[in-house]
Amino acid sequence: MSFLFYLFRYPLYQLGNPQLRIFRPTFNLALVRPGKEQPPDTVQFRIPMEMTKFDVRNYLEKIYSVPVAAVRTRIQYLKRPDYKVAYVQLVSVILFSQISFLRRIRSSVEEMQEKFMEDECQRQKPDPRRGGVTEWFGL
Amino acid sequence: MASCSRLSLHPFLSSASVRLACNRNVQVEASTAKSLYPPIVPSRTAKSKAAKRRVVTEFFEQLRSCTAQEKIRALTRVQRKKYVIYPHTFALNADRWYQHYTKTTFLNGLPEKYESASVVDESVLSEVRAVVCNSILQEHWHAKKGRTFIQKEQEQLVTPFLRNAVCGLKNLLAKESRVLTLSSLDFDPQVNYYWLRGERTIPEGHRRGRVEPMRFQIDDKPHSQIRIPQQLPEFVPLEAEISAEVPVITLAPDLLPLFRRQYDNHIFIGAKLEDPCCYGHTQFHVVPDRFRRDKMSKRGLSDQVEVSLRANGIASLFAWTGAQAMYQGFWSEEDVSRPFVSQAVITDGQFFSFFCYQLNTLALSPSADGNNSRKNVCWGTESMQLYERITDGDIVGLNDAVLKLLLQFLLNKPQC
Repeated sequence: MSFLFYLFRYPLYQLGNPQLRIFRPTFNLALVRPGKEQPPDTVQFRIPMEMTKFDVRNYLEKIYSVPVAAVRTRIQYLKRPDYKVAYVQLVSVILFSQISFLRRIRSSVEEMQEKFMEDECQRQKPDPRRGGVTEWFGL
Repeated sequence: MASCSRLSLHPFLSSASVRLACNRNVQVEASTAKSLYPPIVPSRTAKSKAAKRRVVTEFFEQLRSCTAQEKIRALTRVQRKKYVIYPHTFALNADRWYQHYTKTTFLNGLPEKYESASVVDESVLSEVRAVVCNSILQEHWHAKKGRTFIQKEQEQLVTPFLRNAVCGLKNLLAKESRVLTLSSLDFDPQVNYYWLRGERTIPEGHRRGRVEPMRFQIDDKPHSQIRIPQQLPEFVPLEAEISAEVPVITLAPDLLPLFRRQYDNHIFIGAKLEDPCCYGHTQFHVVPDRFRRDKMSKRGLSDQVEVSLRANGIASLFAWTGAQAMYQGFWSEEDVSRPFVSQAVITDGQFFSFFCYQLNTLALSPSADGNNSRKNVCWGTESMQLYERITDGDIVGLNDAVLKLLLQFLLNKPQC
């Protein structure tokens, strides 16, 4: 039955035909918090190496309909793996302190300590698969 | 063997005795006594902050007694990496950053001198209109230029029009204003200025962690400038309180973006120091091809057109007035004693913007900026259309307000 898959083909596209397929870009953008202080209208992304400034602009304007004023890119090498960073200047000013989803990234020091303690306690507990039998005589 | 006689108590009892007399006059004489030793000052050659401070203070003291040429040479002799500020810039919202680096407040509109509707001579205005119309028609109608697409269009169309217009207007108005007969009109001059402003911590290198001042340089090439032998009158008094504030930018200049280079530090007004026409009157600028309205709107930056005009006006005029002040011997430790005033007209052929600048302070370096409450002022207008279009040898929709402002700008003269 699997050979039937190779018999099906989409009809050849010519101008005016109905669009049967959508080609999604293979790029993935990651919005990151800047390491150094940036102006309020600048947003920082990590983008794949193959993307260019024009790609970034079209991606944001066409897919997310975000008006972009300027894009500047640089490549961060010496950090394995190398990645490309894009600084996108938007038409309007964005205030990151007001965007709630980024507040989760800012974890406080106490939370990290609590999590560490929990992990340590969990490591000390005996294996639950032994059903309460002591590990002294085991392997 | 002498017999010891008992000493009398008389010398101790009398207040006029020698011992008490000595005690009484010591405090009086100590205040007027000359010290036997020279004053204690820090060393000049030691590797200490006090020694560095002493060297710098002595250098400044020695500079105060030099001529203007020597001052400029001493302050610009050492080359270091500096931020280069371009008057025409693609950076967004550059006018706020430039205002911070030049300590300028920006006021919309023009000073009261031009705001109050003054009576303008109609005959002179009609002559001005004739000159300007002739120049426009010469470039756009009479001379045949490639109509499909011209590379460097501004250079081919606007530069010769402005050249003819400025030359014609200056010669026409020479009979109205005597200072224009003594003025000097230059085409394609160079205007350069170098200054220190603010501090930064060096992030990397062998000098890492140390605090050093930030250096800036402007290299401007206006289309033309008019220089006069006397100073233009001030728009506001030197110590006047101005309501607008200078914007404060805490971010590093690299984020604008501004780039650093190292080359000769130039300070130049358009002519050398010995030129008798050492004060500025008006400068004319042409908007480059890249920053024309249609190209900016194609890139989606229509609202940045006015911003870039303002940034151009502030940067160019600050450089020109600052260089004029340096030519007169003022520098950051010796602040200006009278304000330096200049004007500028920025055009792209159809739209005109007018700017006036008053330099009140040169003390922008970290050491001099601490207790300096003066700020420089820049007035500027929005861009105004001179004409709507040109059809069949005729200019449609000529704006008289622009011509009037142009006339008033050129007729601005120093009080005799």
